Amino acid sequence: MIHSLFLINHSGDIFLEKHWKSVISHSVCDYFFEAKEKAVDPEDVPPVLQTPHHYLITVHRGKLFFLSVVQTEVPPLFVIEFLHRVADTFQDYFGECSESVIKDNVVTVYELLEEMLDNGFPLATESNVLKELIRPPTILRSVVNTLTGSSNVGDTLPTGQLSTIPWRRADVKYTNNEAYFDVIEEIDAILDKSGTTVFAEIQGVIEASVRLTGMPDLTLSFMNPRLLDDVSFHPCVRFKRWESERTLSFIPPDGNFTLMNYHVSSQNPVAIPVYVKQSISFFESGPCGRLDITIGPKQTMGKTVEALMVKIHMPKAVLSANLTATQGNYTYDLPNKVLVWDIGKLNPQKLPNLKGILSLQAGAPKPEDNPSLNIDLRIQQVAISGLKVSRLEMFGEKYKPFKGVKYVTKAGKFQFKCAALYEPFLLSFWTILFFYFTTF
Amino acid sequence: MPYLGSEDAVRELRRALSNPNVQSDQLRYRNTVLKAIRAMSQGVDVSDLFSEMVKACATVDIVQKKLVYVFLCSYATLNPELSLLVINTLRKDCQDPNPMVRSLALRNMTNLRLPSLVEYVEQPLAAGLRDRAACVRRVAVLGWAKLHNLQPDAEIDAAVVNELYGLLRDPDPVVMVNCLRALEEILKKEGGVAINKPITHHLLNRLKESDVWGQCEVLRILQRYHPQSEDELFDILSLLDASLVSPHPPVMAATLGLFLGLCSGLPAVSLAALERVRGPLLAACGSTSRETRFTALCHIQLLLRSLPGLMGAHYKRFFCGYAEPAYIKQRKMQVLVELVNDENVAMLLDELKGYCTDVNPETAQAAISAIGRIGRSYSDRCLEILTGLLGLKQEHITSAVVQTMCDLVWVCPQCSDTVCSALEGCEEMLQDSQGRQALLWLLAAYGERVSSAPYTLEGFIDRVRSEASLGVKMELLTTTMRLFLCRPSETQDMLGRLLHYCIEEEMDMCVRDQALLYYRLLHCGIEETHKVLHGQRSDPSLGVLIGRPAEPINQWAYSFNTLEPLRQAGVETEPASRGSPEHVTFDPKPNTDLSDTLNCSQIEKLGTPISGQLLPFFFAEPLKFHQVGWGASVHSHFQISPEMFNRVQVRALAGPLKDIHRVVPKPLLCYLGCVLRFVVLLEDEPSPQSEVQSALEHVFIQDVSVHCCIHLSLNPD
Repeated sequence: MIHSLFLINHSGDIFLEKHWKSVISHSVCDYFFEAKEKAVDPEDVPPVLQTPHHYLITVHRGKLFFLSVVQTEVPPLFVIEFLHRVADTFQDYFGECSESVIKDNVVTVYELLEEMLDNGFPLATESNVLKELIRPPTILRSVVNTLTGSSNVGDTLPTGQLSTIPWRRADVKYTNNEAYFDVIEEIDAILDKSGTTVFAEIQGVIEASVRLTGMPDLTLSFMNPRLLDDVSFHPCVRFKRWESERTLSFIPPDGNFTLMNYHVSSQNPVAIPVYVKQSISFFESGPCGRLDITIGPKQTMGKTVEALMVKIHMPKAVLSANLTATQGNYTYDLPNKVLVWDIGKLNPQKLPNLKGILSLQAGAPKPEDNPSLNIDLRIQQVAISGLKVSRLEMFGEKYKPFKGVKYVTKAGKFQFKCAALYEPFLLSFWTILFFYFTTF
Repeated sequence: MPYLGSEDAVRELRRALSNPNVQSDQLRYRNTVLKAIRAMSQGVDVSDLFSEMVKACATVDIVQKKLVYVFLCSYATLNPELSLLVINTLRKDCQDPNPMVRSLALRNMTNLRLPSLVEYVEQPLAAGLRDRAACVRRVAVLGWAKLHNLQPDAEIDAAVVNELYGLLRDPDPVVMVNCLRALEEILKKEGGVAINKPITHHLLNRLKESDVWGQCEVLRILQRYHPQSEDELFDILSLLDASLVSPHPPVMAATLGLFLGLCSGLPAVSLAALERVRGPLLAACGSTSRETRFTALCHIQLLLRSLPGLMGAHYKRFFCGYAEPAYIKQRKMQVLVELVNDENVAMLLDELKGYCTDVNPETAQAAISAIGRIGRSYSDRCLEILTGLLGLKQEHITSAVVQTMCDLVWVCPQCSDTVCSALEGCEEMLQDSQGRQALLWLLAAYGERVSSAPYTLEGFIDRVRSEASLGVKMELLTTTMRLFLCRPSETQDMLGRLLHYCIEEEMDMCVRDQALLYYRLLHCGIEETHKVLHGQRSDPSLGVLIGRPAEPINQWAYSFNTLEPLRQAGVETEPASRGSPEHVTFDPKPNTDLSDTLNCSQIEKLGTPISGQLLPFFFAEPLKFHQVGWGASVHSHFQISPEMFNRVQVRALAGPLKDIHRVVPKPLLCYLGCVLRFVVLLEDEPSPQSEVQSALEHVFIQDVSVHCCIHLSLNPD
């Protein structure tokens, strides 16, 4: 199925390759490089490319391309999902999935790839099983390893592979039994010039960190499970129970895992935590423009908005920005034409404002594309959809575990479309104002 | 020499590896092996260390074993003789009490990929199939497939195949799935693993036990099964219902593929299945992985072919985000065009308008042509946007707008007034050949209504010497001729100049030929010329586009969950070039770099034309060929009089003359009630006229008369 895998960095160097069947020469990647040359942005390379004898299926993760070579017709989703799984595994093992980290751990990476695929077919992909086979490197462990001569490779067969519950190893023991759940929601929204919602949806995920002794059987129930549509679960969740009772019943894997993903959309109106008053205009005469942005809280459910950050992709002609911010500071990244305004905590009493002059390249035509505002924010202790966990029960074991739930809301793809003011009246008004300021 | 000092490094490593002090200290020994592997991964050729590494293989340390195996598998093909030594160690490891060691040894034994070692591997593999540890059986089963790949022509051992069939009932689900995979490979010549009723039911019942990958595999293989009765079919369907809405996109897609295959005779059931997967598919469209999103979009496009209303209410899901890659944006726009209706058209157009100024010119062009496509149903609103875009004075936008207008006018002649008034003054902004070709075509069709048309043409003719694009030159000739017919006094002089240039100075055969043809035509008198050149301005058969008719599911079911819908040219070229006039694409680079098997189906699909669609393929060096040019006047039984003389197709004939039917697509001609001029470039010596004619008549339909003339190339070499 998957013949070979090449890891390629953004500048186009192949820094790792692995072949599961016969060895395929590097030159097959030339088709990919050709497509990469043609694309405006390296990220724009289409995920499936055709060559005379192979298909190249590529996944782009964290500035790396995972390029798989496939010889026969395959289900594309299968390969794409698998490549993402490989990337997830690297992330899980090394904390990040980047070229330097992979190069540092090249031996572990080879071992992992060897375990994950055999003859091109997925073999062991469950993180728990893999971690039994090949232990992830940690600083402490590598120190211990060098001193004692033990290794990061398990020398016994993972018990999980033989038990009926493949995701959990047997005989887990902890002195502190804890189960933590993080409900993390991301708002994906597009708002138009007037602030009305064009499109909004919430992508949620429940990350769990469970360290419990023995073989516990957990039941997690929600106050308002009807909110959720399009749920997807970790394989441990009993789907029948969810369908009949809307509770999550499962024997958890040991350690960190993603319990479920969900979407909240369509039926429920999505609360938009902030509003933006903005005007970005470019003068008909003279190489400059004006920017004025104010942000205020809207539906925050009584919590403070933190880590607020505004990113504006400016038109190409904008050379520099001379602005004043009442709160936080701003930077203008000239090569990428991105204005970043880092605000921090949003104070409802004193709304942050950013205004000033944008200077354009002399002689360039008035920019036409309306810049759009991308907003990043974080609200602690609330899930913006209103989702609440009501209780967590444990069966099958006698001890009392320590339980905890944390809620976080973040901005995902959260975007305001800018009003571009070209009305002659407004322009002349601003021009007069501008002249007023410059002459006096 | 990419790595200076690599020889030193290898020497150093060898000394360390053979040092008895190192060998006795397990930790040091392993670290030295690790160093060798690291060097290997950095591209240093450490194959010289093979014999030392073989020795290092005989150890109790499982980590070291693993490392050595990695090394041996990479270099075994370079040292086939020494690999025999490895086999002994590996065979010993196959007897190890630790199942992990056994499976490791077995896996690496089969990974050595040396045909000479096959005889030593078979026995441990056979034992592996009966091992008590599941992980060893998993490896052993796939091992047989690897062995078969090593010697694809060797006789298939029936005993092994039987044993593999038996292992389909193995308690371990991975062993079961691996058996399927192995049998698929081994029995490829016989059409893969045999699927009968008991096997099917067994696999279906155990589907839940296997992991996501295994489920996909099983579902894919089950597509070959045909249920014997309707009851059985519905039993299977209800069993599969849960996987149809599986949260894992690969499983969902595989299940739907199986559903569509099973229900090919029951369209109502298939449609219900499509409705059911709407939710999961939309969820996949919102996935964090952009590749998954892209694939889901492509498959939604497939579904929409049969159920155009499927996603109507969810059109907002297909609005593009700012940071999305171009390929997703373009696909989303294609989907948006399909979803347009009276309620959402304003919203959709507003959104598409925003994309027209995208930084990526290709995305901008896609957005503009999407607006043009919507314009077939909502022409006023769209034309307003398009003319507004012309005001931006951006090269690529203007070019795309003119091309789009050209397509639009061909379908909706009622737009022509607006288009004509918009055309004034945009020729300075047109830089690329396709945009200029489109402009010329519009001037040819509506020259009498554009007051500045002669001046625009004059500019083109003045610059014709420096014109590089063949398509523009050809189009220019036709346009000047047609403009001459409606505005003779203004154009006579420039037509004369153009014809003179093209006949006397032009180096390109096609242009020269075309000019000669027009010249002779003018000699026949203005009446004749008019009859021939007065072409259609629009295609009445297309008319206003009110949604596409729903196709039966079977049309595309075979390509569901394959790579086909993801191909670049797959779906989008068809609507984009539908009904567009002959300016379509002058593809300067022939698609010959793609292999035949992958490509020919695509050409065939494109070649099934809706009237007037031609595919000019132009090859880079036409003068190298001897040339046969011929005009075939085609009288189909629909229309008697020839109407048009402006469709020219240039094709190269690479093979012998008897293959001419491959060059001239037959169905093309059924639709044309016009004179068609074909230029076929021949590589061989020009054969007698009769031979060419008989070959061509063989291709064309009965009621067609072919006039054929042969020109020798000007400078044959």
